[in-house]
Amino acid sequence: MKAALQKFKNLRFVKLIGFNRVVLILIIFLMYGFFTILTPILRNGSSFVNYNRVMSALNYAYFIGFLGLGVTFVIATGGIDFSIGPVMFCSALISGYCLTKFNLPLWFCIFISIAVGALFGSIGGYFVAFRHLPSFITSMALMQVAKGVGSIFTKTQSVTWPAAEATSSWYRYLVKWNNLPTGFVILCLVAAICAVVLYKTRAGRYMLCLGSNKEAVRLSGVDTRRWEMLAYILSGTLAGVAAIFYVGAYTTVQPGLGDTFNNEAIAACVMGGTSMAGGSASILGTVIGAIIVALMQEGILAMGFTISYQYVLTGLIVLGAVTADIMSRKRRN
Amino acid sequence: MTRATGKSIIKAIGTQRLVIIGVLIVLFAFFSIASESFRRYTTLITMSSYMYYIMLMSIGVTFPLLTGGVDLSIGTGVICYSIVGSFIIRQMGMPIGVAMLVTIGMGVAIGFFNGVIVAKLELPPFITTLCSMMIVRGLGSILTGGMSGVWPMAGQDGSWFRDLFKVTIDGTIYPVGMVLIIILVTVMSIVLNHTRVGRYILAIGSNKEALKLSGVNAARWHIMAYVFSGFFAGLAAIAYAGTFSNITPGTGAGLELDAIGGAIIGGTAMTGGSGSIIGTFLGVCLISLLKTGLPYIGLQANWQQIITGAIIITAVTIDMARNRKQRAG
Amino acid sequence: MNEVILTMEGIDKSFPGVHALDHVSLEVAKGEVHALMGENGAGKSTLMKVLTGIYSRDAGSIVYDGRKVCFSSPREAQAAGIVIVHQELNMMGHLTVAQNIFIGREHTRGFLIDDAQMNDAARQLFRQLNIDIDPKEKMGRLTVGKQQMCEIAKAISHEAKVIIFDEPSAALTDTEIEQLFRIIRVLRNKQYGIVYISHRMDEIKQITDRVTVMRDGKTVGTLITAQSSKDDIVRMMVGRVIFEKPKTVSHVPADAPVVLKVANLNAGRMVRDVSFELRKGEILGFSGLMGAGRTETARAVFGADIKESGEVFINGKKVQIHSPQDAVREGIGYLSEDRKRYGVVLKKNIVENSTLACLRRYVKRGDLIDSTAERKDTTAYVAALKTKTPGIEQLVMNLSGGNQQKVVVAKWLISNSNILIFDEPTRGIDVGAKQEIYELMNLLVKEGKSIIMISSEMPEILRMSDRIIVMCEGRITAEFDVAEATQEKIMNAATRDIAV
Repeated sequence: MKAALQKFKNLRFVKLIGFNRVVLILIIFLMYGFFTILTPILRNGSSFVNYNRVMSALNYAYFIGFLGLGVTFVIATGGIDFSIGPVMFCSALISGYCLTKFNLPLWFCIFISIAVGALFGSIGGYFVAFRHLPSFITSMALMQVAKGVGSIFTKTQSVTWPAAEATSSWYRYLVKWNNLPTGFVILCLVAAICAVVLYKTRAGRYMLCLGSNKEAVRLSGVDTRRWEMLAYILSGTLAGVAAIFYVGAYTTVQPGLGDTFNNEAIAACVMGGTSMAGGSASILGTVIGAIIVALMQEGILAMGFTISYQYVLTGLIVLGAVTADIMSRKRRN
Repeated sequence: MTRATGKSIIKAIGTQRLVIIGVLIVLFAFFSIASESFRRYTTLITMSSYMYYIMLMSIGVTFPLLTGGVDLSIGTGVICYSIVGSFIIRQMGMPIGVAMLVTIGMGVAIGFFNGVIVAKLELPPFITTLCSMMIVRGLGSILTGGMSGVWPMAGQDGSWFRDLFKVTIDGTIYPVGMVLIIILVTVMSIVLNHTRVGRYILAIGSNKEALKLSGVNAARWHIMAYVFSGFFAGLAAIAYAGTFSNITPGTGAGLELDAIGGAIIGGTAMTGGSGSIIGTFLGVCLISLLKTGLPYIGLQANWQQIITGAIIITAVTIDMARNRKQRAG
Repeated sequence: MNEVILTMEGIDKSFPGVHALDHVSLEVAKGEVHALMGENGAGKSTLMKVLTGIYSRDAGSIVYDGRKVCFSSPREAQAAGIVIVHQELNMMGHLTVAQNIFIGREHTRGFLIDDAQMNDAARQLFRQLNIDIDPKEKMGRLTVGKQQMCEIAKAISHEAKVIIFDEPSAALTDTEIEQLFRIIRVLRNKQYGIVYISHRMDEIKQITDRVTVMRDGKTVGTLITAQSSKDDIVRMMVGRVIFEKPKTVSHVPADAPVVLKVANLNAGRMVRDVSFELRKGEILGFSGLMGAGRTETARAVFGADIKESGEVFINGKKVQIHSPQDAVREGIGYLSEDRKRYGVVLKKNIVENSTLACLRRYVKRGDLIDSTAERKDTTAYVAALKTKTPGIEQLVMNLSGGNQQKVVVAKWLISNSNILIFDEPTRGIDVGAKQEIYELMNLLVKEGKSIIMISSEMPEILRMSDRIIVMCEGRITAEFDVAEATQEKIMNAATRDIAV
C-alpha cells in the first residue's frame, strides 16, 4: 500500500502538478459523485447530473477563480487581501453604470472595471508596503471604502448589464459562447499567465522570497516595498477582471455586497496549497480550489440546503487548511 | 498650583483622549451650526441607539486587540446571536430572560472557540476569527431555518428589554441605555486595570514570553480576552434587537470594523499592550457622531462606509508611525 | 573568607560535536562578587545555563546552600533562590515597574489587584537598594539601566541568595554603571552571592573579589582580584596553544589602491566616529568583543541601518548609500552573522538564493527569468565553491551551515561584488567546513576581491587578516598590521576602558 502510494507519487504527471493537487482533483470527482448520489435522495428524484448544473458551477468558479488567483499573489508575500470581493462589485457597478447610463463603449467599460480594481489594489499595496500597516486591517478598511464608493457612484441602485440579445453584450461570450464554457478557457489562460508571472518572472520570484524572508531579500539589495505593492495591485486588477465574469454570468450587481466572496477566494487559495505564512503558493491549486468551492455551493443548493451551509463549510475548510499548514510547519521544525 | 493640577488632569486623561474630546466638541458644534435639524433632541436618540451596540462590541473587541490580536467574528456574530435569541422567544416560546442568556451564551461560546484556536493552536487571530465570522454568518440562519429575527415589540410580552435602552415617558424618549453603557465602561475599566485577568491580557500584548517565564498560564488568560469579546458581542446582540425591529440573517459584516475602529481611535494599539476602555468609549462616540452627523450636512448614508474605512486607515497609520518612532527612539 | 553558598564541581556538558564544558568548577561565597571571564564561546553562558536548569549536565555536582541540587527549569532555580539578570531583559514595557516586578504573584484584595500595596512593596525594595525609581512608571519608558535595576529588585523580591549578572553593563552609560556598582555593593553587604559575567577589565578590578577565567570550556583558574593585574587575567584568557598557520605578514602589496574608505561614521550608540580604509586584495579583520559595534558598523556601511553622519568612498569616489540597494549597486556584499534570518531564504532553493541579489541580469524580455542562464551560473558556482548538495534544486534549509554560507558567498559573487563583508563567517559551521571557508576567502582576495571580516574568534582573526582593527564600545581602539598583532595586544584594545 505504502509502496504503491510512493510509486504513484513518483509518476511524472503527479510530480509535475504535485501530489496535493492530484488529491484535490480526486476530491472534485468524489464530491461530484457524492452530490449525484445524495441529491435524488434528498430532493426526491431530482437529479444532480445535468449540463446546466456544470455550467452553473463553472460560472461561479470563474470569478472566484480570478479573485483567488489575485489573492494568491498577496498571500505569497505573507499578507492577505480581504477587499477583493467588494472591490469586484465596485468595479462591476462603476463600469456597468458607465455602460448603461453614460453609454460608453463596452471595451472601455471593461477597461474601467480593471482600472478600478487596480486602483484599489494600489491604495492597499501602498499602505501595506510603504506605510507598514497590517494587511488584514488595511484591506478590511478598503472593503468598506469599496462598498461605499460603489453605492455612491450608482446612487444606491443596482446595475444590470445588457442582456444577451442587446447591443454591447459580447462580454457575455467571454463566459459562455453557444453554451460552451469559454470562461473556463479564459480562466485557464489567465491562470497560465499568473503561473508564469509567479514562477518565471523576477516579480514573482521576489514576491515568493519576500513572503518567506523579507529581511534577507532586502539585504540582498532588493526594494522589497515595490514588489510587495505589486502583489496587491495584481490582486486588485484580477478583482477587476473577475467583475466582468461575474456580470457575464449573473448580469446584475447590487451595491454594498461582495464580502462573502473574499472568504471563498481565500478558501480556494489555502485549499490549493498556498501557505498563509507566505513564501509558497500554487496557482493550479487555487484554480482547483475555486472549482471545489463552486461545486460545493452547487451541490449544497441542489441538495436543498441554503447558502448558509456554504458559509459555515467555507469557514471550517479555511480553519482546517490553515491548522494543517501550521501543524506541518511545526512538525518540520 | 492650578497649572500643576491642570497638567496632572491632562496626564490622567491622556493626551490622545483629550484630543478626541476636543474633536468631539468641535464636530458637535460644527454639525449643530451647519444643520438645523441636527440640533434636535431626536438626533441624540438616533445617535445613542446606534451607539449602544457598536459600543458594546467595541468594549469587547478591545480585549483581543490588547493582546495583539483581533476579533472579526463579532459583526456577523451580533446578527447571528440576536436571531437565535428571537428564535428562542418566537418558536420555542421561552421567556425573554432565557433568550437573553442564550444570546450571550452563544457569544461566549464562539469567543471561547476563537480563544482556544488562537491561544492553543496558535493560528493567526485574524484568520481564525475570519473563519468564525463565516461560520456564525451561516450558523444563525441554519439554526433558525433562515427566518429573520424579531424580538418582542413595544406592548408585547417581554418588551421590557427595550426599556433597558430607551424609555418613553409622556412621549419623550429617554436614552437610559447610556446608564448601562457607563456602568459597563466603569466595570470593564476596573477589570482591565485592577484585576488579574486585565493585567495578564495587557501583559500578553506587551510580551507574552515574559509572562510565561513568570510562571503564568498565559494561554488561559489569552482565551479570556476572546471570551470577553464574545460576551460583549452577545450583549450587543441584545442591544441590536432593541434598536431594530427586524434582523436579517447573513448580514452584519462590517459592524466589526466600526467597533475595531472605535477602539483604535481610542488609543488601543494594533500591536497590543496598551489601550483603555475609556478611550474606546470616546472613540465610539466619535465614530457615532460622524456617522449620525454627516447625513445632516448632505452626505449620503453610503459615505459612512467610506468614512469608516478612511478613519481606520488613518488611525492605524498613526498607531504604526507612533510605534516605529518609539522603537527607533 | 565567608561561608560558601554555591559550589559547582567537575561540570561536564557536551553538545553534538562540541565539548562545551570540560570539568568546570566554580565556587561562590556569601557576600562575594565573583567575576566569570573568558572570550566569547569560552563556556560562561553554558555554565550558567547548566546552573539554572536550562541545560542538564552530563557530569559533576552542584551544591547550593549546603544541599546537592539539580534544577530542571529556570523557574525551579528561581524558586530556590538562584536568579539571572539577563542581558536581554524580560520585561513587559506597557506595564508599570511594580506590575512587572510582581507579575504572576499580584497582591489581591478580593477580585481586585492591590496596586497600592504592590507599589509600596516595590518602593521598599528600591529603598533597600537605594535606588530612585517610581514604581508607577511604565517599564518601557525607563532607560535600560533602570530596567535592569528593576530586574535586580525583582530578583531580590524572589528572596534570591545567588544573583547572576550576565554582562550587565553592556548597554549602560557610565553613570548607570556607577549606580549598578553601588547596588552590587549593597547586595554584597547583604551577603548575597553574586556572579558577575563581563568583558570589561576595569569593572572586574573595580567591583569583584575573585575572578574565575574560562577558556575553551575549561576553567583556567581563579585569582583574587586585588592581588592580580590586568595582564595576568588577559594572559589567562588567551594563553592557548596557537593554531595552525597564522599569518605572519600582510599579503597586500604596499601600493594596493584603497577600494573602500569610511570616514567619521556615526550610527546610534554602537557606531561612534568610525573611520577606516580597505585596500584591494586585503582581508581587514574587525576584532572586538560581542557588542563592540562591529556588526552595527557593517550594517551602517551597507545601508541596512540608518546612518547619522559620515562619508563612504568607493575607489576614491564619494558615494551615497542609503539602502542595501545602493550598496549592492556599488559592489558591496554583506554576509550576515545570522544567516538564517538575514542571509538566505530557507524555503527557496539554491538557484533562487544565488541569484537573489542580481536577478535583474537574468531577466530577458518582459520580466521573464532566463532560467537556463541562471542555472548554468549557479551550477558553476556550486562547483567552484565546492558546495555539497545533491543538486541545485535543493532547498537551502536542507543544507549544512557551511554550505549555506557558500550559497550566500555565491550570491555576492554572482552579483559581482568586489567588497565582501563577512560577519562571523564561520559561526555555526563545523571544523572541516571552516577550513574550506578560509581557503575560499583567501582565493577571493587573490582574485582581487577585498574582504572585511568581522570575527570574535581570535585565532580566526590572526590567521586570516592582513590588517586588524579592534573595536570597543562603538569606537575603533586600535589598528595593527598582522605582523605586529598579538592576542594580548588585541585583547587589551578590546577590553580597554575608554575615557569618554
